[in-house]
Amino acid sequence: MNDTRFVLCIDNSAYPAALEKRKVYQVVPDPEAQRHHCLRVVDESGEDYLYPDPCFVAIELPEAAEAAFDEEAA
Amino acid sequence: MWFEILGDIQGVETFASGRGIREPARLQKVYGRGNWRKRKGVAEIRLPDGTVRLAEIHWYEASGIGRREFKIKRFLD
Repeated sequence: MNDTRFVLCIDNSAYPAALEKRKVYQVVPDPEAQRHHCLRVVDESGEDYLYPDPCFVAIELPEAAEAAFDEEAA
Repeated sequence: MWFEILGDIQGVETFASGRGIREPARLQKVYGRGNWRKRKGVAEIRLPDGTVRLAEIHWYEASGIGRREFKIKRFLD
């Protein structure tokens, strides 16, 4: 998932508090994590953690939706 | 847990509790009422690809409930 900025959670079975299934999450670039088939994702805690790739699918968001995430992060 | 913790977790400390936790409602809904804290420590872990790394790991913990949802914050080696 190179250059992925947003993902949709499709499996939160191991992290039912930290992730919500069918919810969109922001990805923080982390090439080292990708080498281990992980993504660095900003979860429900508001912090970024490594999660396994299969928990997510990459998605593209409309610009307005991306801006909403950027506002949240600012 | 999608990774394996090898041996003991070193340097365990609480870094958030009470109002310092952003997702208390989710924790209570999933695991039950408790004095939830966010804790962290350092441990060797084995990833699914077999790689062993030293990592800072975080988890949720409450007395009487235990440790839940170990997450990797960063690699330290």
